[in-house]
Amino acid sequence: MRQAVILAALALLPGIGEAIYFRDKVSWQSPIPASEMATLTQARAWNGNTIWVDARPDAEFEREHIPGAVLLNEDRWNELLPQFLDSWSPEKRVVVYCSSQSCNASREVARRLRDEAQLKNVFVLQGGWEEWLKSRK
Amino acid sequence: MAQIEKVKFVWRIVDLVVGGIFIYAGAIKVLDPVRFARDIDNYKILPWTIAAGLAFYLPWLEIFCGVALIARHLYLGGLSVLIALVCVFTVATIAAKVRGLDITCGCFGHASQHWSFGGHLALDLVILAALLALYFKESCGEETRESSAVL
Repeated sequence: MRQAVILAALALLPGIGEAIYFRDKVSWQSPIPASEMATLTQARAWNGNTIWVDARPDAEFEREHIPGAVLLNEDRWNELLPQFLDSWSPEKRVVVYCSSQSCNASREVARRLRDEAQLKNVFVLQGGWEEWLKSRK
Repeated sequence: MAQIEKVKFVWRIVDLVVGGIFIYAGAIKVLDPVRFARDIDNYKILPWTIAAGLAFYLPWLEIFCGVALIARHLYLGGLSVLIALVCVFTVATIAAKVRGLDITCGCFGHASQHWSFGGHLALDLVILAALLALYFKESCGEETRESSAVL
């Protein structure tokens, strides 16, 4: 038991050091840094310069989606990415959404668009599709 | 005598392999703690702040315990911590599956991204079995040494 406590304490030191080193790259409040998130009001204000990306599964997209949204989910990433890139242009802001605040799909799709497709101005819609529905009521 | 040496050699190999696996797994996560934090968050068990904190801490714990196994220093402590970690991780993986979460385990960074649930579980159980075998072998060895010393 004493040995386990020593190891646990030893691991704290580099862990704290690394947390300090990465302090600008991780948000402690939310999985998505505020700079990568967009509220519905913000996204609407960008008006014609926004490309809505629906990261939900195909069936949910077909049922209903934000008008003009492009389907791009991880299930068919390779197939759908070229279609999305056809509608993309550098001056446009990309806003990705999935079903709700707690879903991961929008976060992952946004990350892949930044890392793999090397796009800038990619945001995750705060509250997702649920937020959009609420705003229509 | 030669037989005993052979058995010791085999156990030593198991130490090295298991220790190496945890050093590798820890090192990959140390390089990308933000990704690991997201992987922990995907389990939807802990608040984000705790997931982020653990993402900085757990990889180093794995590395230190892996080194303990290889160096045979703080050996039983290293084994105890790793057994606890693997048990928690296995239960969390099963719980996530039961709750219908489609998760990446994050255990070996990007390399394990596309592993199936069965693959995760099988690897966890093999590592857990090896850790338990090492632990009981070492505990029994200590007891035997202590009783020989008394005699």
